[in-house]
Amino acid sequence: MSALGLLLAADTPKIPAPHVDYAAIAPILIVVGAALVGVLVEAVVPRKERFNAQIAVSLLGTVAALITVGVIHNKEITTPLPGAGGPTFSGALAIDGTGLFLQGTILVLGLLATLLIAERSVDATSPIVAAAAVVVGSPEDRRLSRTDRVQTEIFPLLSFALAGMLIFPVSNNLILMFVALEVMSLPLYLMAGLARKRRLLSQEASLKYFLLGAFASAFFLYGLALLYGYANTVDLGEIFKATRTSTKSDTLLYLGLALLLVGLLFKASVAPFHVWTPDAYQGAPTPVAAFMASCTKVAAFGALLRILYVAFSGESWNWRPIIWGAAIASMAVGAIWGVTQTDVKRVLAYSSIAHAGFILVGMVAVTEEASSSVLFYVLTYGFTTLAAFGLLTLVRDADGEATHLSQWSGLARKSPVVAIIMTVLLMSMAGIPLTAGFIGKFYVFKAAWHTAGPLVVIALLLSAIAAFYYLRIVVMMFFAEPPEHAPTIAIPGWSTTVALTAGVVGTVLLGVFPQPVLDLAQKAAESLVG
Amino acid sequence: MSHNFTLVGLLLIPLVGSLVVFGLKKNPTLAKWVALAVSLAVVVYVVVIGIAFDTGKGADRFQFEGDWIWIKAFGVHFSFGVDGIALVLIAMSVVLVPCVLLASWNSFDDPEGGRSIANFFGLILLLEVFMIGVFAATDVFLFYVFFEAILVPMYFIIGSFGGPKRQYAAVKFFLYSLVGGLLMLASVIGLYVTTGSHTFHMAELIGKVPDNATQKWLFLGFFLAFAIKAPLVPFHTWLPDAGAEAPPGGAALLVGVLDKIGTFGFLRYCLPLFPAASKWAAPTILVLSVIGVLYAAFLAIGQRDMKRLVAYTSIAHFGFIGLGIFAFTSQGGSGAVFYMVNHGLSTGAVFLAVGLLIARGKSRNIDDYGGAAKTTPILSGLFLLAGLSALALPGMSTFISEFLVLVGTFTRYKALAIVATTGIILAAIYVLYLYQRTFQGTVSEKVKGFKDVNAREVLSIAPLIALIIFLGIYPKPILDVINPAVKATLSDVHETDPEPIVGTTAGGHK
Amino acid sequence: MNTAEGIQSAAWILIALPLISAAVLLTTGRFADKWGHLLGAFTPVVLFVYAIFLFFSVKGESNREISLHLFDWIPVEQFQVKVGLLIDPLSLTFVLLITGVGSLIHIYAVGYMAHDDGRRRFFGYFNFFVAAMLLLVLADNYLSLYVGWEGVGVASYLLISYYRNRDEAATAGNKAFFANRVGDVGLSIAIMLMFAYFGSTSYAEVFSHFGEHGSDVGKGVAAAIALMLLLGACGKSGQFPLQTWLPDAMAGPTPVSALIHAATMVTAGVYLIARSFPIFDASTATQTVVTIIGAITLLYGCVCGCGQDDLKKVLAYSTVSQIGYMFLAVGLGPGVYAIAIIHLVGHGFFKAALFLSAGSVMHAMNDRIDMRRFGGLARVMPWTFGVFLCGFLAIIGFPLATGFWTKDKIIEAAFDKGGTSGWVLGLSALIGAGITAFYMSRALIMTFLGERRWEDDVHPHEAPAAMKWPMVVLAALSLVGGYLLVVNGALKHWLEPSLGGAEHHAEHDPTIDPTLLSVIVLVVVAVGVGVAWVVFGRKTVPDTQPVGVSVVTTASRRNLYADAFNEAVLMRPGQWLSRALVYFDNRGVDGAVNGFGALVGGSSGRLRRTQTGFVRSYALSILAGTVAVVVVLLAVRFQ
Repeated sequence: MSALGLLLAADTPKIPAPHVDYAAIAPILIVVGAALVGVLVEAVVPRKERFNAQIAVSLLGTVAALITVGVIHNKEITTPLPGAGGPTFSGALAIDGTGLFLQGTILVLGLLATLLIAERSVDATSPIVAAAAVVVGSPEDRRLSRTDRVQTEIFPLLSFALAGMLIFPVSNNLILMFVALEVMSLPLYLMAGLARKRRLLSQEASLKYFLLGAFASAFFLYGLALLYGYANTVDLGEIFKATRTSTKSDTLLYLGLALLLVGLLFKASVAPFHVWTPDAYQGAPTPVAAFMASCTKVAAFGALLRILYVAFSGESWNWRPIIWGAAIASMAVGAIWGVTQTDVKRVLAYSSIAHAGFILVGMVAVTEEASSSVLFYVLTYGFTTLAAFGLLTLVRDADGEATHLSQWSGLARKSPVVAIIMTVLLMSMAGIPLTAGFIGKFYVFKAAWHTAGPLVVIALLLSAIAAFYYLRIVVMMFFAEPPEHAPTIAIPGWSTTVALTAGVVGTVLLGVFPQPVLDLAQKAAESLVG
Repeated sequence: MSHNFTLVGLLLIPLVGSLVVFGLKKNPTLAKWVALAVSLAVVVYVVVIGIAFDTGKGADRFQFEGDWIWIKAFGVHFSFGVDGIALVLIAMSVVLVPCVLLASWNSFDDPEGGRSIANFFGLILLLEVFMIGVFAATDVFLFYVFFEAILVPMYFIIGSFGGPKRQYAAVKFFLYSLVGGLLMLASVIGLYVTTGSHTFHMAELIGKVPDNATQKWLFLGFFLAFAIKAPLVPFHTWLPDAGAEAPPGGAALLVGVLDKIGTFGFLRYCLPLFPAASKWAAPTILVLSVIGVLYAAFLAIGQRDMKRLVAYTSIAHFGFIGLGIFAFTSQGGSGAVFYMVNHGLSTGAVFLAVGLLIARGKSRNIDDYGGAAKTTPILSGLFLLAGLSALALPGMSTFISEFLVLVGTFTRYKALAIVATTGIILAAIYVLYLYQRTFQGTVSEKVKGFKDVNAREVLSIAPLIALIIFLGIYPKPILDVINPAVKATLSDVHETDPEPIVGTTAGGHK
Repeated sequence: MNTAEGIQSAAWILIALPLISAAVLLTTGRFADKWGHLLGAFTPVVLFVYAIFLFFSVKGESNREISLHLFDWIPVEQFQVKVGLLIDPLSLTFVLLITGVGSLIHIYAVGYMAHDDGRRRFFGYFNFFVAAMLLLVLADNYLSLYVGWEGVGVASYLLISYYRNRDEAATAGNKAFFANRVGDVGLSIAIMLMFAYFGSTSYAEVFSHFGEHGSDVGKGVAAAIALMLLLGACGKSGQFPLQTWLPDAMAGPTPVSALIHAATMVTAGVYLIARSFPIFDASTATQTVVTIIGAITLLYGCVCGCGQDDLKKVLAYSTVSQIGYMFLAVGLGPGVYAIAIIHLVGHGFFKAALFLSAGSVMHAMNDRIDMRRFGGLARVMPWTFGVFLCGFLAIIGFPLATGFWTKDKIIEAAFDKGGTSGWVLGLSALIGAGITAFYMSRALIMTFLGERRWEDDVHPHEAPAAMKWPMVVLAALSLVGGYLLVVNGALKHWLEPSLGGAEHHAEHDPTIDPTLLSVIVLVVVAVGVGVAWVVFGRKTVPDTQPVGVSVVTTASRRNLYADAFNEAVLMRPGQWLSRALVYFDNRGVDGAVNGFGALVGGSSGRLRRTQTGFVRSYALSILAGTVAVVVVLLAVRFQ
C-alpha cells in the first residue's frame, strides 16, 4: 500500500521548482564546498604540501561557515531574512533558531576536532595512518609508518561529515534527514579506520561501526516508509497535522515512529543501541573518536529534537515512556558498565552513553525550556568530551597512547597540569558545581522536574554511581604510585593546545558564567515549540 | 539589592591567599608563613565583623547582606549575609584554621611524593573559602554550589595527605556526600519549581512551599543530604574512615567544620523552608539522635584506633545537636548552635592533640601507647583538657551547650532527654579510658623516647582550650548573638517554648 | 535576704584566689618548682583568714543570709542562670571547715610531698580542688553548684590518679569519676525537672515552691526531684550503691585522702541534701529512702572496715560508714539536719587527724601501708601515735571526745524517729558504733601496739615539723572540737537560718532516755574495743594475711563482693555490648554501604561480559531493543 503510494508520488506531473534561500543555507554550502576543494587538493597539490593545504582548506571552510551562521543568527534577530527562521527548499530545510544553535555548536566542535586531527608534533607524524589501503603488517606498511606520509583524505571526509551533520538537525523532511544521516555517517565509518597505531583494531572498529550503522539506517528508512504510508508525506509539519487529523490506523504511525527512533537513538549511542560505541571509540584514532563523540551526538540529538518536538509533539504521551526507558537504560548502562572499565577511552565511551541518558531526561518535557536545556547540555557535553579525548592523545608510551588506567597512576607527579585539567573535565562530567557539566545537568533536570520528577531522582542517583569511575581516574592520577614504565607526557603542538584550551576554558566558563550562552539557547529554543 | 562587599572580601582573602600559597611550591617556608598570616588576617577580619554585628532588639536577622545577580536564567543570585548562627560558625571555622596550620607545620615535606606542604596549606585555605561561603550564602543554589564544591579540597586533603587507606576513605567520603548532595539537588530544583517564585533567595522562599506531600519529599531531599553530612546514625559510616585516614589537621576541619554544615543545614534550610514537614519528621529524628548518642558512644568505647574513636565521639555529639534542633525550643536551638561552635573547638583540639601523639608514636593503635604522661607531661595536659571538654565538663563551654540541649529537650520530651542524659556517663568512659590507655599506667617501650611538645605545638591547641574555658565561664557574648537567630528560626516553624509547669514566682530569676 | 556589702562583697576571692594560684602552678614551668608548693600552701591560709573575717561580719548581721550577684551566666529566653554566691551560716560553716582543715592539710602536704618531683602539679590540683569545693558550697543556684560539684570531681580524679604511672591509681581515678558521673545524671535530671516546673534553678526560686505546708507541685514531682538529688549525693559521698569507688580512691597521696576523701568533698552529698531540705521535707518517702541508704551504708562500711589490712582502706571504709551516719541523720528531717552537719564537721576534724597520722606512718615506712607489716610503732613515733589515738577516741565516741557529742546524737535521733523504722535505724546505728569501735581498735593495735613486724630495710622516724604540727592541731580538735560545736547548741543555733530550727524532740518524749542511751552506746563501744583487744591485742598478729578464714572475714575483705557485683553486672556486659555493636557497625551498617558498592562493581563485572565484541551479538541486542521499543509504543497506545 505504502509502496504504491510512493509510486503514485513518483509520477505526479510537474514538480514546482523549490524556492531556495541561499543565504540561509550558506553555511552548509561553504562546508560542502570546502570538502570538494579538499578532494581537488588531493588531486592537484603535491604530497609535500597536501597536509598543510588540507588543514588550511578545512579550517577556513569551517571558520567561514561558523561566521556565516553567526551572521544569519544576528540578521534574524534584527531584520528577519526571508526564509531564515523558517523553512526553505520548499520546507525541506528549517533554518530556525534551534537549527542555527546546533549548527553553530557542531561547527565549533568540528573546528576543535579538526585541530586535534591536524596535530603532527605529538605522534611520530600524525595520529592518522599513512595509507589506509596498505595491508596491515606488510613490509610496505612498516615502511610507510616510518615516513611522515599521512592519509590526508581524512580532511575532505571530515568536511563531508560536517556537512551532513549541519543538514541533519535542520532537515524538516524525513527523506532529507535520511540523506543527511548517510552523508554524515559514511565518512565517519571510514575515518574510524584510519588510526596509525593499532591499525587492525581500528579497522575492526570501522567495520563494526559500518555494519551496525547500516543496520540502524535500515530501520530508519523502513520507519520513514511506514510513516509515509500513514501520513502520505515526509514533511515533519505535515506529519504533525496528520497525527492530529488522520483517521488511518495508528499502528503504522507507531511502528514508523519506533523504527525512526531506533535509527536516531543508535546515532546518539543511547542504550540499548549503544553497543557499537565503546569498540568504535576505542579503535578509532583518538581525535576522530573525539569528533564522533561530540559532533555526531549533537547532530543526532538535534534531529531527535526535531522529530519529537515538531512531528510528534502531539504524541508526546505515547513516546514519553520510550524516552523514559531509553534514558534510564542509557544512564544505567553508562554508569554500571563504566565502573569496571580499565581503559580510559572506554570509560569516556560509557560516560558518553550515560550523558546521552541525561540529555533524554531533558527531552521528556515538551517545552521551550526542555529544548533549550537540551541545546545547552549538548554544547557543554561537547566541549568537555572533546577536551578529554584531546588530553588522551598527550599521555603516551612506546606504542602510542597509554590509555590503560593503570598507566595513568601517579600522573600528577609527572605532570600536574595535565592531571589538573583532566580532573576539571572529569568533575564536569560528574556534574560538580562550578563546571559546565553541573549547569547542564541542573538545567535539564530543572526542565524535566515537572513532567518527570521520579526520573530526575533516578538520574541523580545514577549520576552518583557514574561519579565513581570519574573519581577513580582522579584517585589514580593523584593518590597512586606511578608504575614501573610510566608513560611520558607529550608536549602538544599549537593545534592541540588551541583545541584543549578552548575545551577547558569552555568547560569552566560555562560553569561559572553560563548566562550569555543560556540566553542564546533560550532564544534558539523559541522557534521549535510553539 | 544591597551591594555590601564585607563578606565577599572575607571570601577573597583566603582565596587569593590559597592561590599565592599554591604558587610558592618552590619555597615551602615562605608558603607556610604566608598561609598562617592569611589565616590570622581572616580571624581579625571576622572579629571585626563580629563586633560590628548588631545584636540589639529589632536588628536585622541577616546582616552584611550583599546581593548580585549570577545566573539570570535560573534566578540565581550571588548573595551573602550572616545571621547569628552563621556568624558564630564562621568565627569558629576561621579560628580553627590557623591552629590546624600550626599543628601541621612540619608534616609531609616530600614534594616528589606529591605531598608538598605548600599544596596542603593551599588546600586548607581553599577549604576555608568554601567553609565561609557555605555558611554565608543566602541563596539556596549558591549554598548548594559551596556545599558540593567543598568536597573537592577535602577530597584531596584526605586522598593526598591521608593514612594508608586514604584512597578508600577519600572516595567513600566523596561519594557518600555526593549522593546526599544529589538528593538535595533534586529538592533544590523541586523547591524552585514548586514555589514558582523564580528565585533561590532564602528570604523569599520561606513560607512559600505548600504544606502537602511535596513539602515532605522536598524536606527529605535536604534532610538526607544533611543527615549524611552531619552525620546522623545510621548514615555515619563514612566518617570513621575519613576521620581516621585524614591527616589530623584535615580531620579537625572535617569533623570540626564540614560536619557542621549538616546540622547548620537543618536549622537554616530544613526548618524555615519546610516547617510542617520538619514537625512531621521531628519524632523520628529525635529518636535517631538519641540512639546515635548512645550507639556511637558505645562504639567509641570499643575502638582500638584512636582517630576512629574520636570520630565516633563526634557522631555521639551530633546526636545531641540533632536533639537540640528538633526539640523546637529556644534552649534546645541555642544549645545546639552553641554546641556546634564548642564541638568544633573541642574536637578540633582533640584531633590535633591525638595528631601530636600519633606524630610521635607513628601509630594510631591505642594499645601501642601507655604512660606517655611520663615523657610528655605538657601534651598529656593538653590532651586531658581537650578530652574533658569533649565530655562536657561543667565549667567548659561544651557543658553549657550540652546542658542547654538537654534542658531544652526535657521541657518537651522528658523521656528522650533522660535517656540522652545517660550519655554523659559513656562520654566520661570513652574519654578517660582513652586517656588512661595512652598517657597513664605503666610506661610502654614506645613512649620512652618521646619528646614533649614544643612552643609551636602548644600554640596550636592552647588557644582552642582557652576559648573553651572562657566561653564556659562567660558564654553570654556568643549566646546573645545566637539567641535572636534561633528565635527567628523557631518562629518560622511556628513554635514557642513550653511555659514552666507551675510558673515562676514574681521577680527573682526571670 | 540581704545583698553583700563590705568585705562580704569580696567573697568571690574565695573562688578566684585558689583558681588563679592553681592556674599559675599548672601553667608556669619548672622554674616555679622552687616556690610553687609554698604558694600552694599559702593560698588556703589566706582564704581561712578571710573566711574568719567574713564569719564575724555575717555573725554581726540580723539577717544572716547574704547574696552576692556576680554576673549573668547563661541567658537563653526563659532559661536565665546568673552566677551568684549565697553566704549563709550553712555555706560559711563549710567555708570555714574547707579553708581551716584545708590549710592544715596543705601545710602538712608541704612536708609529705617534699621528695616528690611532681609537687608543684600536686599543689596545683589541690588549690583547684579548694576553689571548686568553695564554689560548690557558695553557689546560689543548682547549676553553679553543679559546676563546683563536677570541679571537685575532676580534682579528685586528678589527685587519685596523681601517681599516673601506677595502673591501679589510674584505674581508681577513672572508677571514681565514672561513679560520680552516674550521680551527675541524677543531679542533671533534678535540675531539668526544676527548670521544667519552676522555670529556674536558683535556690530561692525553687524553694519558694516548697512552703511549710507542702509544695505546690505535688508529692510526685517533689519525690522525683529529691530522689534525683539523692542519686547525685550518693555518687559524690560514696553511699550505697555507688560506694565502691571511695576505698579505691586511697591510691592517691594521703593528704588527698585526708582532705578530699574524708574531710570535705565526700561530705558534699550531705551538704546537697541539707541545702535542699525544703524539697526533701516535701517528700517523706524520699527521706525514708535517705535514712535506709544511710543505715545500709554505715553498716556496710563497718563490716568492710573489719577485714582490711591496708590502714588507709580501713579509714576509707570508716569514712563510708561515718557518712552513712550523716545520711541517716539528714534523712530524719527537720531538726536533725543540724546534727548531721555537726557530725560532718566533727568527722572532718578526727578523720583528717587519723588520715594524716596514717600518712605520717606511710611516710615513715617507705610508703608501705600493710598493717600486718607494722606493729609497735607507738614507741618509734609517739607524736603520730598520739594523734592517731585522739582521732581514735573521737571516732569511737569516747566520752567527751568529738564523736561522743556528734555521733551519739545521731543514734539518739534515729531511735527518736519512733515506730519500727525508728528502732531498726537506731539499732543499726548502735551496732555500727560497736563495730566501728572494733575495727578502729584493730587498726590501732595492729599499727602501733604489739611487737614490730616491719623489715629491716625500713627505719621508722617521727614526722618532720611541717607534718607534725598540723596533725597536732587536728588531734586537739578531735578531742575538744565536738564539745565546742555542741556547747549550748552553738552550731545548731548558728545553722538555724539555713536549716530551719523546728525542734521535733519537744513534740514527744524521746524513745530512750538520752543518758540511758549514751550509757548503752558506751557499753556497746566498750564491747567492740574489748573484742578487738581479745582477738588482736593478746596474741601476735601474723605478718601475712591468714588464709582459710571464716566466710564473714572473706566477705569483708572482698568488700561484701560489691566490686565483683559491679564487674559482673555492669562492666562485663558493657564491654560485651560495646564489642557487639562495633561488630554490628562494621559488618552491618557499613557492610550495607560497602555491600552496595560491591553489588554495583560485581554486576558491572558480570554485565560487561555482554560486550562480547561480536557484531552479531551487537546486532541482536539492537534488534531486541527495537522490538522492545515497538512493543512499548504499541502497548502504551492500545492499552
